[in-house]
Amino acid sequence: MKRLFLFVLLICLCLRTFTAIFAEGDAPIRITTYYSDNPTLPFRDDWRALTYIREKYNVDLVIEPIPLADYSTKVTNMLVTQGDDAPDFVLGAGINGANASLALNGAFYAVSDHPEWTPNFNARVAEYGIESQVEMGKLSDGKLYSLPAMYDTPAYDGGLILRQDYLEKKGFDAPQTFDDLYEILRAYKEDYPESYPLTTIIDIGYIERMTMPSWGLSLGLYNSTSTNVLSWDYENTMYYAGAVSDQYKNYITFLHKLYEEGLLDPEMTQDDASTTRKLASGISMATYGFYDQINGWENASEIEGFDLNLYPPLTGPAGAHHMPRSSTFDGIVFPVKTTQRADFEQVVRKVDEIFFSEEAILIWALGIEGETYTMDGDKIIFSDDILNAPEGAYKYMQTAYGCGTPIERVFINALDMAKYDENYAEINAKVSAMDHAIQYTVSAPSFDDLTAEDASLMQAALLDAYTVWNDAFIRGTKDIEDDWDEYVKDMQDKGIDEFLALYNKYNKYQ
Amino acid sequence: MKRSENKNKIRERKSILSFITIPVMVVVTLVCIIPFLYIIAMSFSSPAAIINNRVSLWPVNFNFDAYRSVFSYPNFFRAYGYTLIFTIGGTLISLAMMVLFAYPLSKEQLKGRKFIMKMVVFSMFFSGGLIPNYLLVSNLHLTGSIWAILLPFSINQFCLIILINFFKSIPAEIEEAAIIDGLGYFGILTRIVLPLSGPALATVGLYTAVFFWNSWFYPLIYLNSSQYPVMLLLRNIVNGSTLAVETGGSGAQFALSISVKSAVIIVSSLPLIVLYPFLQKYFVKGMTVGAVKE
Repeated sequence: MKRLFLFVLLICLCLRTFTAIFAEGDAPIRITTYYSDNPTLPFRDDWRALTYIREKYNVDLVIEPIPLADYSTKVTNMLVTQGDDAPDFVLGAGINGANASLALNGAFYAVSDHPEWTPNFNARVAEYGIESQVEMGKLSDGKLYSLPAMYDTPAYDGGLILRQDYLEKKGFDAPQTFDDLYEILRAYKEDYPESYPLTTIIDIGYIERMTMPSWGLSLGLYNSTSTNVLSWDYENTMYYAGAVSDQYKNYITFLHKLYEEGLLDPEMTQDDASTTRKLASGISMATYGFYDQINGWENASEIEGFDLNLYPPLTGPAGAHHMPRSSTFDGIVFPVKTTQRADFEQVVRKVDEIFFSEEAILIWALGIEGETYTMDGDKIIFSDDILNAPEGAYKYMQTAYGCGTPIERVFINALDMAKYDENYAEINAKVSAMDHAIQYTVSAPSFDDLTAEDASLMQAALLDAYTVWNDAFIRGTKDIEDDWDEYVKDMQDKGIDEFLALYNKYNKYQ
Repeated sequence: MKRSENKNKIRERKSILSFITIPVMVVVTLVCIIPFLYIIAMSFSSPAAIINNRVSLWPVNFNFDAYRSVFSYPNFFRAYGYTLIFTIGGTLISLAMMVLFAYPLSKEQLKGRKFIMKMVVFSMFFSGGLIPNYLLVSNLHLTGSIWAILLPFSINQFCLIILINFFKSIPAEIEEAAIIDGLGYFGILTRIVLPLSGPALATVGLYTAVFFWNSWFYPLIYLNSSQYPVMLLLRNIVNGSTLAVETGGSGAQFALSISVKSAVIIVSSLPLIVLYPFLQKYFVKGMTVGAVKE
């Protein structure tokens, strides 16, 4: 009897252990994160791409949508406090500025500590040949704190947009240089004297951002060096004081000429509605914007034959360049609190798998084979609802399936092009064939905390001064020739030389 | 004779005054109303009509698309429900807490009254800041719960001082008579003081309700997204669309967003606008009753 009891007990124990192991093996791993909730693309928990990822990878991926307008506030507060409600990882967080300081003070897990936990990420970096760019993301302690999002090839998604119907009507060829653009704008002004042919989206900074590289510059609020007043010498891989250079003097002279002749919209800060109104009504015929916006502008216009198109970068004194783009950008970070999880290694491995594995990349980009698309040899054939979507395949796939949303971390140019029209693919092909039309973005130096604070103080004063002078030069309230020396002196008094020396001292490229 | 002359002069002055004030008030009223009418007209107009500047004070191509878009925003009604919970619940809790705090402080004989008042005034000007406050709320295990909004903001120093001054203005003789009749302080508060405090409570209640109605920052910090109030969603629709330029927004949606933004303004402000006329008489009275220390 005693033996029988022991035997039954043993069987029960075995069954219990087996059941527990079996259950544990099957239970999806729960991982939480934030999502930057774009109001034009509100998050849906039932997006097919998301639900399929959950099923396929056995992961309970809990995504908390945070309003885009307040995303950085929420993330920063969470990173500083690392409270009970902190997510396991954060999407779209860059390791620069305040986050770099937080990282150096131990707020994040250093992903470079265990590269063996991220085999898919490592494979993609090697496949796209972006090792050096990822390496540049390391901080002064030599560690990498983020799994950056990546492009295999940065897309040309915006640039000069102008009225193709006007060019055809007047017999203009597509503009190749800024002189060509000037002639087109001037012709339009002559035809419509009340017009301001070139307008801006949001503010003049967008025009500057997309045109300055053709002068070898990148300055102002939307600059590509994160310095606002310095620019990058691609030949010698070092910073130079772009804001007080001859290149800038030439550039600002060109912008001032456009302004003075009424070719540039004097309303240099405006909301999207105002830009749309001006383009749609013919007050303006050109802008520097994004390809995605063209459809909306065309739909808003009541002008017959109204036809906008995106054009490749124009040639300036330093060649034909668009704003620099990096193959890597804000990625995935793990708050240090997550490292307290007993299954932390599994969390990192799972995140690596669901964002960077080849299969997952296809799901986030195209959805599910057989449902949203099928393959005909190498050709992607989308389902009928996608092909017939009035807003276009790209937008429809975002809103209906969750493909191409800010959750996606790896962007493959060929897949993105497949979702757009042929025109967009053709423009991108032209830009790809140009000589370094899209240059790389400079990785910020890794300052220590104190140096970063010094640099930040100098930068704020320099940016303020530059912004005021830049506006004055464009509008002509300051004369570019007569007041140039005073401007240079002002920038020097505010420490542009010391600022330049500091950046070159910590230059990662030398 | 002289008296009737004076009366005539006064009447004349009044009519001259009316001649000036009425047009001025009409202009002021129009300045206030016209933008609101314009917003209403835009919220019911087609995006193309707005873009092409064809909308003035009357909708063009009348439609409900903007409201449909706002109401179909994911979790809109749940968020509106939370806003109502925060506004109604927060106001009731706040009034209860402030009345219980203010009444003892209105009594001169309360020991330590001056010290407590100094603490109250000190906290009006100096706060712990966002991070310490967050850590406090987090350590109290309130984050992710609606109590994180209802409790920490239940006492507003400015409203508290209004209430204290109002309670002080109630004649002590009434309370003395009540004590003689056998009422305790709690009975006096509930049966005598509160029934006499309608204007002050309405004023403080309106202030508090407006605070909770408009609140978006603290819910963002303390709550989960499933508990966000409607203001946070609406703020994102208004502010987020500009930020979305580079993250996949199309021009079509921007155009729609003008009417949507207008609809958002109406949806977010209409309930309080409707409420305000009913509380206005108390509000104006309450502003003055608590202001003078006797």
